Amino acid sequence: MSSFSQFKQLEKLGNGTYATVYKGLNKTTGVYVALKEVKLDSEEGTPSTAIREISLMKELKHDNVVRLYDVIHTENKLTLVFEYMDNDLKKYMDSRIVGNNPQGLELNLVKYFQWQLMEGAAFCHENKILHRDLKPQNLLINNRGQLKLGDFGLARAFGIPVNTFSSEVVTLWYRAPDVLMGSRTYSTSIDMWSCGCILAEMVTGKPLFPGTNDEEQLRLIFDVMGTPNESTWPGVSSFPKFNPTFPQKLPKDLRSILQIYSKEPLDDTLIDLLHGLLQLNPDMRLSAKQALHHPWFAEYYQHP
Amino acid sequence: MYDNDRVAPSVFRAPNPIFNVGNYNVQGPPSTGIRIDNINDVPTVILPRRFSECSRTDLVILISRMLTFLIQMNDSSSTSVLDSVTNLTKFHSKVPPGISVYNYLMRLTKYSSLDHCVLMTAVYYIDLVSSVYPTFTLNSLTVHRFLLAATTVASKGLCDSFCTNTHYAKVGGVHCSELNVLECELLRRINYRIIPRDDNIAWCNLEAQYRHFVIDTQDGDDWTSVLSNLSGNRNNSGYNVLDIYYNKIVQLVGSLKSTQDKSKLVNYTFANTPKPTNIHNNGSLNSNSSSSGDNDKVTTTCNDDINNKKSSDSGSNFNFVSNSQIKLEQRHTISRKRNLDTDIDEGRNESYGNDITGCENTLYNSDCGTSGNLNKRYFNRQKGSK
Repeated sequence: MSSFSQFKQLEKLGNGTYATVYKGLNKTTGVYVALKEVKLDSEEGTPSTAIREISLMKELKHDNVVRLYDVIHTENKLTLVFEYMDNDLKKYMDSRIVGNNPQGLELNLVKYFQWQLMEGAAFCHENKILHRDLKPQNLLINNRGQLKLGDFGLARAFGIPVNTFSSEVVTLWYRAPDVLMGSRTYSTSIDMWSCGCILAEMVTGKPLFPGTNDEEQLRLIFDVMGTPNESTWPGVSSFPKFNPTFPQKLPKDLRSILQIYSKEPLDDTLIDLLHGLLQLNPDMRLSAKQALHHPWFAEYYQHP
Repeated sequence: MYDNDRVAPSVFRAPNPIFNVGNYNVQGPPSTGIRIDNINDVPTVILPRRFSECSRTDLVILISRMLTFLIQMNDSSSTSVLDSVTNLTKFHSKVPPGISVYNYLMRLTKYSSLDHCVLMTAVYYIDLVSSVYPTFTLNSLTVHRFLLAATTVASKGLCDSFCTNTHYAKVGGVHCSELNVLECELLRRINYRIIPRDDNIAWCNLEAQYRHFVIDTQDGDDWTSVLSNLSGNRNNSGYNVLDIYYNKIVQLVGSLKSTQDKSKLVNYTFANTPKPTNIHNNGSLNSNSSSSGDNDKVTTTCNDDINNKKSSDSGSNFNFVSNSQIKLEQRHTISRKRNLDTDIDEGRNESYGNDITGCENTLYNSDCGTSGNLNKRYFNRQKGSK
C-alpha cells in the first residue's frame, strides 16, 4: 500500500469528469504515474464513479487497459494512482489538424490502434465488464504507440442480475442506436458500436455521427446506415423510443463517405470490418473477439 | 420533511435497551400477537430458484431470518455484553437498536428501493468482511450499521440508479457524515472488492494477507503457490455466488420452525424439483485457502441442524459458501424487465401485515415523503457534454 508522501505531485494533466488528474513521480521507483484526485463529497460520500472505477479496474490487468496501482486515502479525498500515459487519442488527433482540415491517421497506425482497442475491449468483456464510455478521449496512448482503455467511471459488471440498466450511457456521438431507442437489455455490443465510430473517426479525423441530441443522433446514423425496419432488424419497432415516422433512408456507401477524408485508399476489408461493428441490430454486431479475427487484422494474428 | 435535520433519527440510540443480550431474546421479533396453534396453518410459498425472480418482500424475510440466526449464534458465543466491547468496530451501536432486523431491512428496501442483487450482496459482504476483518462479527450491536453501509455500497457500485448518501442516511437513521465514514470503512476493509464474483473472497484475503492493493500475477514466483488454488483473473468472471447464497438461505431458514425470527408467519420452499447436487456437495465451507485461524473455526455447513448452535465455537461468520469449486449452471440471461417496485408494495404486504408503516412511525413521524421523493441518481453525466 502506498502513502501519499511517496509521490511528488507534478503538473496538472486535466480535469476528469469527477476528479482532477496530476502527473506524479513515484520517488521510490522513479516511475511516473497519473494521480487522480477524487474529492469526497459530504452528500455523496465516496462518488459512485470512483467506487466503480476502483472496483473494476483493480481486476483488469492487461496491456491495453490502464493499470490502477493503488488508492490512497487522505482526510477528505481519495487519490487513485494510475499508470502514466502521455496523451489521449482525441488530443493526438486534434494535434494533427492542419488549419481547419481534420486529418485522418495513417492507416497502419489506425490498424495498430484499433487492434489494441479490440484487445482491450475483448479483455473487459471476457471479464464480464462493460466499459460503456468508449470514445477517443478515454483511449490513452503513449509515445510507444500503445493504446489503453481508461476512465471506467461509467463501467459496470454484467452477469449479476440487476434490474436497472440505464440507457443514459455512452457519450452521445458514440452511443449505439438500440441504446438511443431506449434499450435496457444491452450487453457487450454497446461497446462495439463505439469501437466502430472510433475506427471511422481515426480514418477521417472527424467524428462519424456528431449529433447534438438523441433525435438528431439517430437521424445521422440512419442517414448513413439506413433506417431500420422489422425486416432488416426484427423487433426494432418494440423499442421504447422507436418512431414509425423516422425518415426512411437507404444505406449509403460507407467507403465513399470516408474516402474523401483519407489520403490512402481504403480497402475492402477495412470497410467490411466497419460494417461489422456498425450493425444497427446489436445481435448482428461483431464481438470484440470476432473483430480480432477479422481479415483486416490478418497481419497481426498471422504473425504473432 | 424532517423537523430537526441536525439530529440523527435515533434508530441506533434506542432510549431503553430493550433486549437482553443473551440467548433467544436478542433481536426477538416484535410481538406479532398471533399464536401459532397449528403449524399447518402457516402458508407455504414456493420460491423460484433464482433470487432475481424472487419477490423482494420474500427476500427480505429470508435474509432477516438468516441474519437473526447468525446474530443469535454470535451474541450467545460472547459471554457478556462487555466481551464485545473489547472488539469495537465502527459498526457498533452502544445498545442494540430498537428496531428488528426485519423491520430495518424492510425499511431500507422500501425507501431506498434496493435491488434484489443489493440485498443478496449485503449478505455476501458479511462473509467478505468477516474473512478479512476478524474483529468484525455480525451481532445485535453491529447488524444495523452494517446493513446500511453494505446496501449503500452495493447500490452505488452495482446499480445504475441509486440515491445520495444523504438519502440512505436518512432512511437508515444515522447522520450522513457517519454513513460516509461507514462506507469508507467498508470499502477499505474489503479493499474495494465489491463485486460478488466466485473467487472474490479468496482474492480479497490474499490482498489482505500480503497488504497489497492488487496482487500482480505477473510479478512471478511469489504468488504461484497461493494462486494455484484460484482460477486466474481472466477466469474470475463467475457470478453464481449470489444464487448459491440464496439457495442456502432458503434451505437453512426457509421453514418457519427453523427460525427465531417470527416476523412473518410463512414457510418457504423450492418447487419439488431435483436439487442441483453441486449445491449440497460442499461440506467444507471455508472460503479462503489462506490460513487465518479465525476463519478456520467456522465450520457451519449447510446440512447442520439449525438448532445445533454448538456446532461452531466462534460462530462469527456466515461463511457457508463460495468455495471456488462450487459451480452452478452459468447464468447468462439477465432478467431486467420485472417491475422493480411492485413486489414490495403490492399484495404480499397485505397478507403479511404492514410492518413498514409500523416501523416508520416509530422512527420518525414525518418522513412520509421519503418514498415519494427518492432522489434517485442515474448516470447521465454526458448528457449534452462532449
